[in-house]
Amino acid sequence: MFEARSISVRYGKHLALDDVSLEVGTSECVAILGANGAGKSSLLRGLTQAGLRERGGVIRHRGEDISATNDFDLVEKGIALVPEGRGVFAELTVDDNLSLGAHPKRARESASERRAEVLDLFPKLGQRLAQTVGTMSGGEQQMVAVARALMSRPTLLLLDEPSLGLAPIVVDEMFAALHKVRDSGVSILIVEQNVRASLALAARGYVLEAGRIVGRGSSAELVADPMVAKAFLGH
Amino acid sequence: MLLSTLVFGVVLGGTYALVALGLTIQYGVARIMNLSFGEVVMFGAFATFVLFTGASLSPVLGLFVVVPLAFAISWILYTVLMRPLVKRARHPERVEIDSILVTFGLLFLFQGLFTQAFGSGYTGYGWLQAPVEILGARVASGRVLGLGLACLIGLGLWAATTRTRWGLTMRAVATRPAFAALVGIDENRVARQAFALGGAIAGAGGAILSMYQPVTPIDGGFLTMKALVIVIMGGIGNMGGALAAGLIIGIVEALVSYAVDPGLTLAATYAIFLAVLLWRPKGLFA
Repeated sequence: MFEARSISVRYGKHLALDDVSLEVGTSECVAILGANGAGKSSLLRGLTQAGLRERGGVIRHRGEDISATNDFDLVEKGIALVPEGRGVFAELTVDDNLSLGAHPKRARESASERRAEVLDLFPKLGQRLAQTVGTMSGGEQQMVAVARALMSRPTLLLLDEPSLGLAPIVVDEMFAALHKVRDSGVSILIVEQNVRASLALAARGYVLEAGRIVGRGSSAELVADPMVAKAFLGH
Repeated sequence: MLLSTLVFGVVLGGTYALVALGLTIQYGVARIMNLSFGEVVMFGAFATFVLFTGASLSPVLGLFVVVPLAFAISWILYTVLMRPLVKRARHPERVEIDSILVTFGLLFLFQGLFTQAFGSGYTGYGWLQAPVEILGARVASGRVLGLGLACLIGLGLWAATTRTRWGLTMRAVATRPAFAALVGIDENRVARQAFALGGAIAGAGGAILSMYQPVTPIDGGFLTMKALVIVIMGGIGNMGGALAAGLIIGIVEALVSYAVDPGLTLAATYAIFLAVLLWRPKGLFA
């Protein structure tokens, strides 16, 4: 459904992402594993910002070539990004953030249904609709970020470190919600430092090292892989 | 006399507040510090004058011509002059410096054109000068109408930014421009709209101003400065703050001109500004 071919990202002389290709199937969840500095965030930037990519990269989504699509038009194509650091409108309320999530034309008509769905997914947000997002805890802000992305009725959800900086109990809550999102049929590409949780969510994964894909396999294979176990699982 | 001075001040302050709203939208959403903003106000005043004297179009109906024109002029200014600056800038601060320089130049261009067309003296027209009585003070009905129009436009603007989806996108870009793309908002498009809308409000402010006082080509620069003072006093992007600060400046100007000396109104404005900067640099209501 989603496929990226030969994506490279260069910052000055530094090649942060070197000829990476990957795909995500319909209703599939795929994890990107990698240590700090392996190029995980560069990968998501490379996938979403046409201006940042080196020439030659191709991105297709649902049969359409979207290599030249502007970042603000990706949502309209069904690709919603939850960036590192959440990217919420901190000065606005939860309600406003959700409404903005439904700003793309594809989501406007079904906005009230989507709102009921995301509030069902994150019941905490329902009691906080009038609260300014900047005054909420990190976990709650992350929920707003994911909920806002889901408001756009995405076919593919890109998640950059959704558990970063959250308390373990909140991480569990977040992943429980992501399991439900996955089961609802939304494809997910997740970049995570929490390898155990993301492999439990994902069917497959890629291993990123120094900007290149150095391994791939089903989640079961990756968990059993001694290299992965040593590098990411601590045994 | 004191009472009528207060009423004068409120009328003047209402126009100032409206003009400042336009500037705060341009600066808050499009992030362009437009020093030629007052020239668009003057355009509104002169255009209303031309329509009234040339085509005997009532200044109120003139708004329907002047405001779209001011919108179009600002739209073109953004597209032709500002967008290239935004595009080439590596940091947002760079845009601020570049736009200040460019719009400072524009200020003189406009001033020259106005002087060429209307001369350096006062340009005005007599309209609705029959006095009405408010709280015992006699005020020209044109002033009262001007205040009413400023309130109406300000109220409409407030409703549009707080109650509509369009207003929500404006607030999103004003507060977190970097995240606008995440929800499918084209930041450049919204910035251009905001810049043009700010210009339209400036045009309306100029038309209203011309309804009760004559103008000269150099008034634009002073209006820009006053609007800037009001925006900073009210807090950047704070519409309610701009309204309150506009009224304060208008009333103080009227009082100083009545009780001290008309030549000191600008000095009084800056004295207040200085006090605000020292005491509340982020605005009166921050």
